[in-house]
Amino acid sequence: MNKDTNKGYIALLGWSLSAIEAAENFDRRYVVVAPDWAEEYCTKHDIPYVPWNFERLNDRSMEIAETLNEMGVDVAIPLFEETVEWAGAINSLLMDKPRLYGQSLLLRDKALMKRRAQLGGIRVGIFEEAHDKGDVIRFLKRVNQTLLKLDGDPNDPIHLKAFDKAGCLGHRVIRTPDEVDTIPDEEFPVLMESHLDGWEFAVEAWIHNGKIAFLNISEYVTLGYSVFVPASPELESYRPQITAQIEKLIKAFDIDFGLIHPEYFVTSDGEMYFGEVAYRPPGFKVFELLERVYGFNAYQASMLVFDPKTTPDEVKAFFPREVEDAKCYAGCFGVYPRRRVVSRLEIPEEVEDDPYFESHELTPPMEETVTKRTAFGTHWGLIYFKGDEAARMKELLKNMEELDFYV
Amino acid sequence: MTTHRHTQEISGSPAGDDKLQGLLVKLDEATTLLAEARAFTKPTKLPRVLDTARRVLMQEGGAAEVEARSQALEEAGIFTGSDWETPQYLLPSLTTHALKSADPNMVVIESLSELRLVAVAKGEYLHPLISAEQAHHYLTQVLALNLWLLFSTPSEAERETQGRLAQIPRNLFRHLADRIGYEHIIDKLIEEIWRILQQRPIQVDSVKQMITQIAICQADPSIDLGLSGQGADRLVSSLFGPTQACREDPGVEIYRERLSSMDSSALQSEATGFARAMHDTGLASAYHPVLLRHLLDHGDHLVAEALGLSSTGRDCLLCYRELVHALIRGAVHPATPQSVYGLALMLERGILYQPPVAPAMWRQLGLSLSEWSKARIELAYGNEVSPRARLLEGVLCMLGLPLGVGQGNNPTCQSARALSMWAYNDPDYLLQMVAWAARDDEIIMHFEGMPLSSMASLEGVAKELPVDLDPVSLLVVPHLDRIYAEMGRRCIGRDGDPHRWVNPEFHGWWSGRGFRINVDVATGQLHDLDAFLRHFYASYHPYYNGNQPLIHPQPAGIAVTDSAARFIGWHAITVLRVTLDPSDVMRIYFYNPNNDSGQDWGDGIKVSTAGNGERFGEASLPFEQFASRLYIFHYDPLERGELNKITLEELDRVIGYIHRSWGSDRIPPTELQADQGPAQA
Repeated sequence: MNKDTNKGYIALLGWSLSAIEAAENFDRRYVVVAPDWAEEYCTKHDIPYVPWNFERLNDRSMEIAETLNEMGVDVAIPLFEETVEWAGAINSLLMDKPRLYGQSLLLRDKALMKRRAQLGGIRVGIFEEAHDKGDVIRFLKRVNQTLLKLDGDPNDPIHLKAFDKAGCLGHRVIRTPDEVDTIPDEEFPVLMESHLDGWEFAVEAWIHNGKIAFLNISEYVTLGYSVFVPASPELESYRPQITAQIEKLIKAFDIDFGLIHPEYFVTSDGEMYFGEVAYRPPGFKVFELLERVYGFNAYQASMLVFDPKTTPDEVKAFFPREVEDAKCYAGCFGVYPRRRVVSRLEIPEEVEDDPYFESHELTPPMEETVTKRTAFGTHWGLIYFKGDEAARMKELLKNMEELDFYV
Repeated sequence: MTTHRHTQEISGSPAGDDKLQGLLVKLDEATTLLAEARAFTKPTKLPRVLDTARRVLMQEGGAAEVEARSQALEEAGIFTGSDWETPQYLLPSLTTHALKSADPNMVVIESLSELRLVAVAKGEYLHPLISAEQAHHYLTQVLALNLWLLFSTPSEAERETQGRLAQIPRNLFRHLADRIGYEHIIDKLIEEIWRILQQRPIQVDSVKQMITQIAICQADPSIDLGLSGQGADRLVSSLFGPTQACREDPGVEIYRERLSSMDSSALQSEATGFARAMHDTGLASAYHPVLLRHLLDHGDHLVAEALGLSSTGRDCLLCYRELVHALIRGAVHPATPQSVYGLALMLERGILYQPPVAPAMWRQLGLSLSEWSKARIELAYGNEVSPRARLLEGVLCMLGLPLGVGQGNNPTCQSARALSMWAYNDPDYLLQMVAWAARDDEIIMHFEGMPLSSMASLEGVAKELPVDLDPVSLLVVPHLDRIYAEMGRRCIGRDGDPHRWVNPEFHGWWSGRGFRINVDVATGQLHDLDAFLRHFYASYHPYYNGNQPLIHPQPAGIAVTDSAARFIGWHAITVLRVTLDPSDVMRIYFYNPNNDSGQDWGDGIKVSTAGNGERFGEASLPFEQFASRLYIFHYDPLERGELNKITLEELDRVIGYIHRSWGSDRIPPTELQADQGPAQA
């Protein structure tokens, strides 16, 4: 696509083919910042590229910011959790706004982020940092005492998450003190949270000039397994409250532009609890789902709102109307093998024959023995569905959990 | 676009149809995404297309719908970067494996490729790389090799490995048969098999498979072939029961027992029967080796009879009796029946009379193969007989059928041509090459005085080791290919085409040092056509070269065109003979290392392989038609003919052919420029 030199010049932090493809097809000039293993591929395919290994921030970190500055880059967009603070550091130099770096650190640490949210008047569950197993056992006991459980009653679970990892990575559910022993020491420190019974959902909000440009609600059918967009009419009925929550979040974190991806619970009494927020594209291919539903490319949407040279009119013209303009419901399901030993991939007939079934990204098994899942683990691939009814989509996605894709 | 639906099946009902229509929408969506994707993201869009295509192909009528979309699918890039991208090189024999695969993507992409070729064969899709005729040939062979898919339901084994996937090849083949024509399919196959056999290839495995398929269909009472298949008898019997005593295909053991109780007149009649079947078809039955080994104790007269030898061959047999006996013991086994044919033709050629050949054959008999060579042969041919016997069979076949060498599915036409040329012209040199390659894993050739080792240069023209070759090529080609590529590298930076220097050094001293090319290397434009053609006529055409028949086979390069006369690529061939054909037309007879010489090059140029005075394995064209596809040739500058005697009209006719085909977009802006001095590039 022809590049418009009057518009911003964008650096993509991290390696994502979908993002590169979107950038290729967008009118902004761009450059990919990725580890040096990407160099050969980029040279071969003529992809603009600057090598950088994203390890911990250190004394040399200014180098990449200066390189990009010299190239005339206007903004850096983080594509992965690990590049969020890099983007903050780089953008604080490119835009001469030192505050951006601090903001990115807040967004990278789950404990800090919860405190900040709390200070901003947002409801969060009970949480604490744990430095060892003793902390976990204490927290589990205290939470259940608070809930007025008696000895012998089944405990309410608590959740353990790494401070700075994306999504379900390192996410564990602990119910009894025995289970605490299964946590390897190297996972500490971790963030502990009380369990909230409720309806969990996520939001993708594109923010421009401190205002919401587009707000999508992604409905989880089962956390870690399935998600669909737009949310069902029942969840969408909370849209005004959700929008208000996001506005609070924008204020609390002082977010002027970019894409945020927070998670919430709605409890049975309609109260919203903040889970966490990420300053990067969501996992689980929600971007792909949005493209199927609305037809716009969500990576391009991010480039648009990050670019300081974008005008409000351009933003207005880019985004469709939420829910109203949705062509269908699109959902995906992450497949985990259910058997201990598998020999081949076989999509169940009932899935394949379902008119909602669109495509899958599953590959034949590499190994016959399935490693036991610790924590939430990673799925083996996604299956995509598309259809006209939210209820049917929800039921379908739920049913998937009972099926064997690897036999 | 018409859709072909099978009315006998109820699943063509509205419900099934809705489902198909729904899937087609998804397929078109996926195809569009792939088509619009940048080259670097195509691989990520491909799985969705393949998977959706798989679901379409599972449906009744799905194959027809996919065929209708085959051009769009190919243009979107489904074959890009795979073997299917170049359909002209696809080998029908590989389809069986692909269609039986447990990998859905493999089955689907193979099916998509087949359906694309149906569209090409039907003239609905003008393909840049393959003509309608080639596509048709290919599909007939594919049908022949996989007849079981037309007439049988999935076996237990298929269900086990493929599951529901097994339905796809069947749907596909019903559609193919519908499109290519059901009723005469077997007859066309038989025609096709004879056409291939007339070229006497060394590798006959796929032909044998096709014949076996026909035999199975004929023997199955549940399959009604109608009146077709009559012409298959000679083919089937030559493999499974060429003589009285094995007519009903009793098995090798029983046949061996029967032989032990035969008197000499019965043996005589067996011998004659085998010999006739073998020379009729070029195929030897597994029973033939049993007889031949048995006859070693019953006198050379019967051995000669069983080999079907003429007086030349018989003389040779009697002169080299010990050697021939040793060769039969070493190479002729029921698992290597073609060795009989190779041996017979080698004796007929009389090459054993060349002093070094017989001793070299003795060396071959006792040659110890390197571990690598053994492993390569076992990988390609299994271990039914020892690798040494397998190689010996290959040597006999190559020496007996020098023009039967094929390059397989590999870009190694140069190496195949060299092997064929040596077998034809310099057999002891070939045997030397085989010994070096098979025993030492290294061949050293010299280029302008510098030794080049096949072990030192790692990269050849072919990127992977070939396996679809005859035993000799299997071991020798990888070495030759690397040396050839290295010779090319040594010419980098020189002005002009590297073949000028490489060909004589690579193929042999007899390749003329005079060299002509009619394409300017730098620009790709035609260059100095008039002088090029005059030299060619004066060196090769008996009317202009003092009626001198061609002495040595000469390497030459041709611009291959398809049936629409569009340029396809450069290709190496050997000019063998130039002489008047039975209808008094001056013809060039040549060898084409491509596995099937019968090709339509467009604009009325059809390469003939039989019926115009060709010997087995030769291709031929009238002189001027051949000249019109030639772009490189060698000649002896000291044996110049009459350049000026060639008439302008004759040359204009050739130039007309060139301008109408591969030269159409290579005509230089003004003739003046093209005539200025020698090649500049």
